[in-house]
Amino acid sequence: MKNKEDVLKKVSRTAADKASRVLSKLVDKEINIEVFKAEVKKVYKLDPIIGPEEVVAGIYLPVKGDINGASLLIFPKESAFEMSDLLLKRNSGTTRRLSELDKSALKEVGNIISGSYFSILANMLQIKIVEDVPIFSFDMFGAIVSEIITKFVQKADKALVIEVLFTSKSKKVKGYYLLLFELEQFDAILGSLKSLEDL
Amino acid sequence: MADIEVKMGDLKITRNPGNLVAPGIGSCLAITLYDPRLKVGALAHSMLARHRPGSDNHSAKYVDTAIDEMLKRMKILGGRKEDIECKLIGGANMFTNIKSDIGKENVISAKKKLKENGIKLVGESVGGSVGKSVEFSVVTGIVTVKIKF
Repeated sequence: MKNKEDVLKKVSRTAADKASRVLSKLVDKEINIEVFKAEVKKVYKLDPIIGPEEVVAGIYLPVKGDINGASLLIFPKESAFEMSDLLLKRNSGTTRRLSELDKSALKEVGNIISGSYFSILANMLQIKIVEDVPIFSFDMFGAIVSEIITKFVQKADKALVIEVLFTSKSKKVKGYYLLLFELEQFDAILGSLKSLEDL
Repeated sequence: MADIEVKMGDLKITRNPGNLVAPGIGSCLAITLYDPRLKVGALAHSMLARHRPGSDNHSAKYVDTAIDEMLKRMKILGGRKEDIECKLIGGANMFTNIKSDIGKENVISAKKKLKENGIKLVGESVGGSVGKSVEFSVVTGIVTVKIKF
């Protein structure tokens, strides 16, 4: 019998592989998304991942349907600049502020990862998940993440936190991907995934 | 003296010379209460406007119960309501493309509670869509608000 973390990591890797293929095709360049950590954390304990005052790019994407939840893709400031260079085929170190084009490109990465993740969850669990459009914010990590946590605070106390590394031939860019669901749904999703893995 | 950090959903009260700090405030509300006579300061980093029946008993998480709790603790230290001054920071909407009243409701709830208790509101930096950090000197009562841009 596998433990919860192993199952989450496996599902996350499958989603990351799928997202890697879509992203590589989009930018016409091999980009690999590696998952090196996937764990369930209490929402109150999220902020030690990144300091609350650290500036980050956050791509927030709410989902509805049979489940009510949201995803948040986070790039620390320098990672967001690096990722923009990578996506828009600029030399490394070129981007020093994010234009509307950069923001759109980063939003698309959020779209691709969430699309992969939620389609895998929907298929595995045979549920309907409807994604909303991604929303972008560039500010302090604490300010961004707290707004999302607050939306769920009376209904959820846990989040799935996945640390990802985007790698191309010449670059490695670190990001974080957070998934939040309403409390009962979170437990049901974890339970179902685990029992599917145990079959 | 080292700064005392007040994390999301928490509150701290002190009369030790130093700073109470709340970094990375978005839709949350930082509420500072200061008694200049006693040099006692309290800071809450609250997330939601109101405690509702069935909500947990974590008073600092809710603006209304956080203010009640801070006033109760200041009274124990000898504070009088007529001396206490309040400042409010935060209550923003970080994702402007979606309608969210979380921040706005937090500010409304705080002002209502302050009025009920006859506490003076002497300063505010609320609303908008920018994250803020708060540094509150318990020596002087001065609140410094920092943004990252």
